[in-house]
Amino acid sequence: MKIENEIMAILNELTGAEAGELEPALDLFETGLLDSFGVVSLFVEIEERLGVSVAAETILRDEISTPEKIVRRVKRAAEC
Amino acid sequence: MFILDRIAQLKKTDRIALINREERLSYAGLDERSEAFAAWLLKNPEGARGPVVICGGKETDFLPCVFGALKAGLPYVPVDAVNPPERIREIISDAGSGVTVDFSGLLSGDCDVISPGELSDILQSPPVADVPPGLRVSGEDIACILFTSGSMGRPRGVPVSADNLMSFAGGFSPLLGEGDGGVILNQVSYAFDVSGCSLYGGISRGMTLFTVDREMVANPGVLFHWLARSGLTAWVSTPSFAEICMSADTFRQPLLPLLERFIFCGEVLTHSLCDQLAARFPNAQVINTYGPTEATVLVTEVTVTQEMRDDSRPIPIGHPTKGTQLRVAEEGSLVPLEDGCQGELLILGGNVAPGYYRQPGLTAERFFHDQATGLRGYRTGDICCRENGLFYFLGRADSQIKLGGYRIELEDIEHNLALVKNVSRAAVIPVVEKGKARYLVAFILLEEEDGLSPLTRAISIKKQAAEFLPAYMIPRKIIAIDSFPLGVSGKTDKKSLAALLDKGSAP
Repeated sequence: MKIENEIMAILNELTGAEAGELEPALDLFETGLLDSFGVVSLFVEIEERLGVSVAAETILRDEISTPEKIVRRVKRAAEC
Repeated sequence: MFILDRIAQLKKTDRIALINREERLSYAGLDERSEAFAAWLLKNPEGARGPVVICGGKETDFLPCVFGALKAGLPYVPVDAVNPPERIREIISDAGSGVTVDFSGLLSGDCDVISPGELSDILQSPPVADVPPGLRVSGEDIACILFTSGSMGRPRGVPVSADNLMSFAGGFSPLLGEGDGGVILNQVSYAFDVSGCSLYGGISRGMTLFTVDREMVANPGVLFHWLARSGLTAWVSTPSFAEICMSADTFRQPLLPLLERFIFCGEVLTHSLCDQLAARFPNAQVINTYGPTEATVLVTEVTVTQEMRDDSRPIPIGHPTKGTQLRVAEEGSLVPLEDGCQGELLILGGNVAPGYYRQPGLTAERFFHDQATGLRGYRTGDICCRENGLFYFLGRADSQIKLGGYRIELEDIEHNLALVKNVSRAAVIPVVEKGKARYLVAFILLEEEDGLSPLTRAISIKKQAAEFLPAYMIPRKIIAIDSFPLGVSGKTDKKSLAALLDKGSAP
């Protein structure tokens, strides 16, 4: 659960959401909550707090468009 | 016009003008398609009436429309499809345009709009008659009109003449080093003057434009696939785009083995980016430049040295380019201050545009004729100083900012946010980290309590704001407050608002 909680905390800070407000399936790009610069900040924070580095040159927007997809993507990177 | 003459020479070679993913447009093809578009414009009564608006992203046929308009003696108005349709229609109306080429589909159904399908037929048909070279845009004729963010909430046009572009290309060319050819990055939106580096700088040196579109920027996995195959020799972008690329560990010399130089323009170049570039691209030169749209892309340049990187001062914007004079003066004065003194930067010379489009009052305020030198000048509103012959940018005299390389008037956002239902007032604050604005926060005053949670409200306001503003101007965070802190002048006290952020949990 650590990865989920930490990622949700980072997303809350990035988007200005309160705890529990972000739905796991919410499209962060369609809603205007994230953009390319936000994505850079997101993965920098993830690396700093979780020690998991996602190779930025492989990122596709479809794979990180919702909180649950981001969790999945980071877990995949953590297993590598 | 010099660029059309250059294309006419290059069409006799087998050089490629533009690469766009799998697509290749040769210089011969570029010339043919431009000629066909020019012939169509001249034949079409609506076409010959006024500026040609070209609305899109990085479509391959954007280029033939640009040079076709110039061949037909008409200015073009590049508009980025990232804008909402209403804002695009404002630009079309303010430009007084004849026809609009719309690659985006945002304007389908409007009058005098050419769809990509219709354009494709036009560009493929051989010209019915020769386009007389005497018609071409030249000299002081307006070649294009660039619309930037305006402080009144409506885009503001800057007309750029053929002479302005020639002056720019002359000043820019030395930055590309010796020898013709090579591959130059074509990522900056055609609606922004910085794209002139590839469009006018690159083409006048017979280079190949390597295209990076918005979809690639959003998907680094796709971007890096193409970058690895680019053969880039010259990188031109805002520092922000390079910072996005930096987040990938493979963004290093082996990815771009032929790369000779990075040329940055459009916003502050930070020490941290220079240090990272020096470590990852030891063989590439890093050049910083500076210039407002009103002085045609760029008017200073400097190669960043180790000494500048080690210096605690900001990275300098450099020396004036050929044909440009710079002065630091007190506000309202034309008399240069001594070295080391801070003041407003004045730009004089061939790059300075004729004024603002159809705005004589504003033009008289910012542009001037310098009797001592006979040169045309522009008051930038940028606070600068000169030390040992190098100019340094220190900030703005007003609330214009650069965010992600985009030039934004904060009032433009505030005006448009106040158009959103139930928002009575908005104040926008840039959050600055490591010497650069990183994102925007809007504080809003609601007309009446809406009972929404903060996130639901923010999403709803962002969605409504997207009807008036391009995505890059919509603040990342939107925070409703009960009252606006006022300063002594009665204006919103933005310092107190910024202090609210420091107290909160904002990262």
